[in-house]
Amino acid sequence: MIIAEQKSLEEMKSLIGDAHKVLVVGCGTCVTVCFSGGAREAAIVSSSLRMASKLDGHPQEVTDVTVQRQCEWEYLDEIADQIKDADVVLSLGCGIGVQAIAEHFPDTWVVPGLNTSFMGLPTEQGIWAERCAACGDCILGLTGGICPIARCSKSLLNGPCGGSENGHCEINPEVDCAWQLIYDRLNKMGKTEVLLNIQPPKNWKTARDGGPRKIVRPDLRLEDEEED
Amino acid sequence: MPGDCHYLEGNVNAKRRVDYIKDLLVKIGLEPERVRMFYMSSAQAAQFAEAAKEMTEQIAAIGPNPLRTRISVEEQNGTDEQTSE
Repeated sequence: MIIAEQKSLEEMKSLIGDAHKVLVVGCGTCVTVCFSGGAREAAIVSSSLRMASKLDGHPQEVTDVTVQRQCEWEYLDEIADQIKDADVVLSLGCGIGVQAIAEHFPDTWVVPGLNTSFMGLPTEQGIWAERCAACGDCILGLTGGICPIARCSKSLLNGPCGGSENGHCEINPEVDCAWQLIYDRLNKMGKTEVLLNIQPPKNWKTARDGGPRKIVRPDLRLEDEEED
Repeated sequence: MPGDCHYLEGNVNAKRRVDYIKDLLVKIGLEPERVRMFYMSSAQAAQFAEAAKEMTEQIAAIGPNPLRTRISVEEQNGTDEQTSE
């Protein structure tokens, strides 16, 4: 899932400025599960901003609503009237949610309430860790299901490097060495021969390095939406 | 006492959440002393009464919730229909 963290209340106040009507929009998917921008968080942020604005002597009308997914037009359509009625929308969605609102409502001023952090999973309650860098050319089949792109600090394809010490990374002893994890797993599964295949330089064109990405699935397109 | 809870570590978790609320109150601009957690069992009536008395005195010393006061003034002026937080 996409993992995000809330911005400070101070930054949110600064972003919404002196707008009179503020709509806080939560998202019911990834950021609900990582407790940063779901219905509960939207209600808390809304209430906090309302109270803070009153204490500051300039009461703002802050309300909140949460949609199932901010990153799909259909769900945003359900709250179109509320969005259009607001002076500013504070999105508690990930960066995609913020941009979806901006794109779908061209006349609406939308600001982010979250910092979108990474794609990962909860390793324990209250702890999330990065697992995927969306490089666009998955190599997990070569590395025992552990991603060296996302989890090795140097994204090495043929690791470990000389900085691996007792299973930890030289950048921070609390960071596991991804290549140690890969070796241990392959060894446990009797598949260390996989490591004898030296990987050539990766073509990063499919990652962010190739510019903004887009996927087109002709089999899923609708005839009336097809571009010329 | 911490960890000595009918729900095992429940009161330890509750303490973390109370700390979170205190921090949030500070960010909002309210006194964190408006929320406090006391450890006791349901059999400690005397301690509960003592804690309630202590909390009442503490809140009285801090004074009324400024939000409530501000809202009442606004409501009197008819400029705000928001309900009290």
